[in-house]
Amino acid sequence: MIQVIRRELRRMATQPLYWLSMVVFPLMATLFFTTLMGEGLPEQLPLGVVDEDHTSTSRSIVRNLSAFQSTATHIAYANPTEARKAMQRGEIYGYYLIPRGTSREAQLQRVPTVSFYTNYSYLVAGSLLYRDMRMMSELASGAAARTVLYAHGATERMAMAYLQPIVIDMHATGNPWINYNVYLTNCLVPGVFGIFLFMIPIYSLGTELKWGTSGELLRTARGHISHAVLGKLLPQAIVFLLVGTVIVLWLYGYLRFPCHGGILSMWIVMCLYVLACMGWGVFLFTMAPTLRLGLSLASLWGVLSFSICGMSFPVMAMHPVLQGLTWFFPLRHYFILYVNSALDGYPLLNAWPYVACLLCFALLLPLCLPRLRTVLERYCYVA
Amino acid sequence: MSNHHKSRRYHLINRLFSYELRSIFRDPAVLMFCVFVPLGYPLLYSFIYNEEVVREVPVAVVDDNRTGLSREFVRKVDATADVNIVAHCADMAEAKALVRERKVYGVIYMPTDFTRSLARGEQVSIGAYADLSGMLYYKAILTAATNVSLDLNARIKVERMPSTTNEQDRVTQQPIAYEEVSLFNPQAGFATFLIPAVLILVLHQTLLLGIGILAGTDRDKGRNRLLRPLVKTPTALASAVAVKGMAWLLVYLPVSVYVCGVVPHLFSLVQLSSPLHMACLFVPFLLATIFFAITISYFVRHREAVILLVVFSSVIFLFISGISWPGSAIPPVWKAVGYILPSTFGINAFIAMNNMGASLMDVRPSLILLWVQAGIYFLTACASLWGRARETRQ
Repeated sequence: MIQVIRRELRRMATQPLYWLSMVVFPLMATLFFTTLMGEGLPEQLPLGVVDEDHTSTSRSIVRNLSAFQSTATHIAYANPTEARKAMQRGEIYGYYLIPRGTSREAQLQRVPTVSFYTNYSYLVAGSLLYRDMRMMSELASGAAARTVLYAHGATERMAMAYLQPIVIDMHATGNPWINYNVYLTNCLVPGVFGIFLFMIPIYSLGTELKWGTSGELLRTARGHISHAVLGKLLPQAIVFLLVGTVIVLWLYGYLRFPCHGGILSMWIVMCLYVLACMGWGVFLFTMAPTLRLGLSLASLWGVLSFSICGMSFPVMAMHPVLQGLTWFFPLRHYFILYVNSALDGYPLLNAWPYVACLLCFALLLPLCLPRLRTVLERYCYVA
Repeated sequence: MSNHHKSRRYHLINRLFSYELRSIFRDPAVLMFCVFVPLGYPLLYSFIYNEEVVREVPVAVVDDNRTGLSREFVRKVDATADVNIVAHCADMAEAKALVRERKVYGVIYMPTDFTRSLARGEQVSIGAYADLSGMLYYKAILTAATNVSLDLNARIKVERMPSTTNEQDRVTQQPIAYEEVSLFNPQAGFATFLIPAVLILVLHQTLLLGIGILAGTDRDKGRNRLLRPLVKTPTALASAVAVKGMAWLLVYLPVSVYVCGVVPHLFSLVQLSSPLHMACLFVPFLLATIFFAITISYFVRHREAVILLVVFSSVIFLFISGISWPGSAIPPVWKAVGYILPSTFGINAFIAMNNMGASLMDVRPSLILLWVQAGIYFLTACASLWGRARETRQ
């Protein structure tokens, strides 16, 4: 087996593709996502304002609007058409319309209507602006009434209790800042990593067929298929585990992403994920024992993982068939374990079925061996 | 002699064109990535996101108040489309246990002094808790609780006013009314938001894969030297690259019509543009992508290697385009990287025209940049082909 390992190390060292996809690309992707969303929550999103009222009240609404965290200093437009056109050009993500005579009608108690338009083609930006604009509309209403209350001699506390008797105190547990970097990176980085974890075992086994070296491989392993396959996978697994460790250290050690269950449990989850993905990769190759088909299946699986893991769009809202399919995606289990251990801080055992699933993926390997022997002995390369 | 030369060159161009088309359709891998993946993948994606929004998120309630009003609040939250109350817990510990088993995704807590504080005319806050495992869960719980609280607030305010008329009640509830309009994606749905970007990305990535696979195959089989006659003179080189581009354009125009025209139609997604306007976008987008792909295919060492190089970049390209993560919040470095990619402008222009009904004038900057990219990548594609032809392989 030592010879196989030595042979595999030589292959890895001489082909830059291995190093690129095992070390450089995963770490680059980690760096990309963590710097791209370094802000955490997008701030200063451009918002348009159409102020047809031109009174001190409307101006104060506009001023307050740009004081919100997510909203950038507004861009003023003369009329709604101009604002809509700016939206279509992608210059603003929404606009706030204060029609002519708003403050006069408010004073006359005729209940004027202000409106706001959100562009949900950009869901994140749209949602954030929506929140600010809606809050502002509530406040605008309140501001009018508050003046009257103060005049009646109410204290601020009394006034607020009158204007908003019930308030919702919303807590995002585990990620109280609603940091999108924490929310998305925690899943996107393992997802990208997973693509390579699927692909490299397939690539290294498939190229043996392609370059006609499978016989040599079996000879080096003295005919033991387990030695041949394990010897090939072991060096890869070690490199991947090291890269996984760097990712965990980078996310939870350096960037201090919430990790309430301790960094050790996330490291264990990451290691399980690495082994599970590699096991699944070998399984895919055994099912489709050509380099091209194996890699294609792996890319399908890898890219689909992002959507089906439930990070962006919840699994409970998917078609039941897809809900069943989620069990076959290691990223889904990783995601649940991450929520369990890092976000909520429960011990790993709390989510043992998912740990067991990841282990099952890894343990697919021995089941694949008999067929892999046939593949390596008899199959030849298909373009 | 010039006539003879001309006819020879036309002959060569014709042969190159049919050779390229033949290699596209004869290669099973290229067929799979450039025909079957664009056929099937968008359907799969639309199927995943077809529900658009999440409804009836399971939530637990801890009602420490146990009065008519607190029960009314809970009932109203349960009645919203967003939230489904599946458990009434005796205390927070019990609710936490449910969260731990992932039977509920959030908890609503009614404080002990809820009704008493309200009766005293004090402000009272209701606790709502959700872990941020899914933004949509959080949003659903927040929206439901906020809407119900605003509704109850309006009623409480009126009750506190001394005898008034109905009209006065209305003014008291809301001196200034407001109206919210969701443009271009009325239900704020996930499919309408993400699918258009994915469709363009499917075209972009499959082109990179297909062209890369063919280049890798040429290198595998030592066919790169066959390129030598094509790169003898600058005109021959340019026409060779142009012919390659035209062959791929011919294949990808119908694929684009299916991916960006038929698929959105099948899943009733927004489609606001006309075919002619779409053509004005797709011709430069496809050309820029094809020449970009020919350029980077220089780095493909062998046939299957391109899959490892291209597939993972899809997610990165999606984020760099400014659809998921707002473009205004992307750091300048990554924005600059985005300018290199045809996908960035393709996605933004497609969404502007298809989803937001923008005119050609509105997306002019993107279209111009796509043509500029097509021009630049045409030159780099020439360089790439030239480099490949000069290569001597072991």
